[in-house]
Amino acid sequence: MSIVQALIEQVGVEVAESGHAGNVVALDLIIGRLSGVHVDSIRFAFEVLSPGTLVADAQLRIEQPRPELSCRDCNARHEIEEITVECDSCGSRNVTIEGGTELLLQSIEMEEPDGT
Amino acid sequence: MKIVAAKGILKANDQLATENRARFEREGIYAVNLVGSPGCGKTTLLEGVFRATDGRAAMAVIEGDLAGQVDAERMEKIGVPVVQINTDGMCHLDANMIAAARDGLAIEGPTMLFIENVGNLVCTAGFDLGEHLRLIALSVPEGDDKLIKYPVIFQRSHALVITKIDMLTHSNFSVARVREHMQRLAPQAPIFEVSALHGTGMAELADWLLARRTG
Repeated sequence: MSIVQALIEQVGVEVAESGHAGNVVALDLIIGRLSGVHVDSIRFAFEVLSPGTLVADAQLRIEQPRPELSCRDCNARHEIEEITVECDSCGSRNVTIEGGTELLLQSIEMEEPDGT
Repeated sequence: MKIVAAKGILKANDQLATENRARFEREGIYAVNLVGSPGCGKTTLLEGVFRATDGRAAMAVIEGDLAGQVDAERMEKIGVPVVQINTDGMCHLDANMIAAARDGLAIEGPTMLFIENVGNLVCTAGFDLGEHLRLIALSVPEGDDKLIKYPVIFQRSHALVITKIDMLTHSNFSVARVREHMQRLAPQAPIFEVSALHGTGMAELADWLLARRTG
């Protein structure tokens, strides 16, 4: 809930700074699979919190990047679904996991001034 | 028409947290964000740390709870400067609350400031408070599967304290299993096994905290 609240406040700031007026049509979010944030919960909280705000009619478009495992032994890189310890290619445990923790407001799509 | 933002959704909180951290550094405060489930023994752990540090460092506490002052009263009783934050239903502390709570603390000079977060393994993971160290407490009675169920908060912690270790004999909790999962989630994080009530392992934890502060 508080994440969506922060999101709505930030959209307000961004729109004000941009100097554009009008309704927000859509929001593009990037929510990584390891961000600890569940997309369904975000959608639900957005439904509850958006009425009466500038994003009341906005559509949520959410991209969910996967984390990437990189192996220090064989230099392989794989996208993974969840945190694992082993490299799929060589079985080494000498691996690091990167990304997937994004929690970003990527862009805000505004209604065109002529109403389209 | 698109406005490109490309900013973290929690940017406002992250900025405040960065300001908190800078202020703490100016004031000689080393801040520790203590997270863990309700009832995992966070307050008892802080009482134990206070005893184990034995005056080697000034200590202060910010207590976060939905309601009530019971934790703050426990800290006052042992003579630790404390401020209670009531979040009125919010499931975590945020950087803004910490800035206000710092103003309410009468402390001067180098201090270890413990921020006891609201008991929660989910939302507390996302909110930087401006701390230098995030410490997660996991109690034996909770079970050793918490790392599988709530990986994010463990992954983002700098050290794990297994509390109520004296209850191992009454449970099927496997320290080895916890160590294995922590190795996968946060390989750099040291793991402490303590009973704050009986003092087991507390000297080691206190020494590590003190060293970490100066290091």
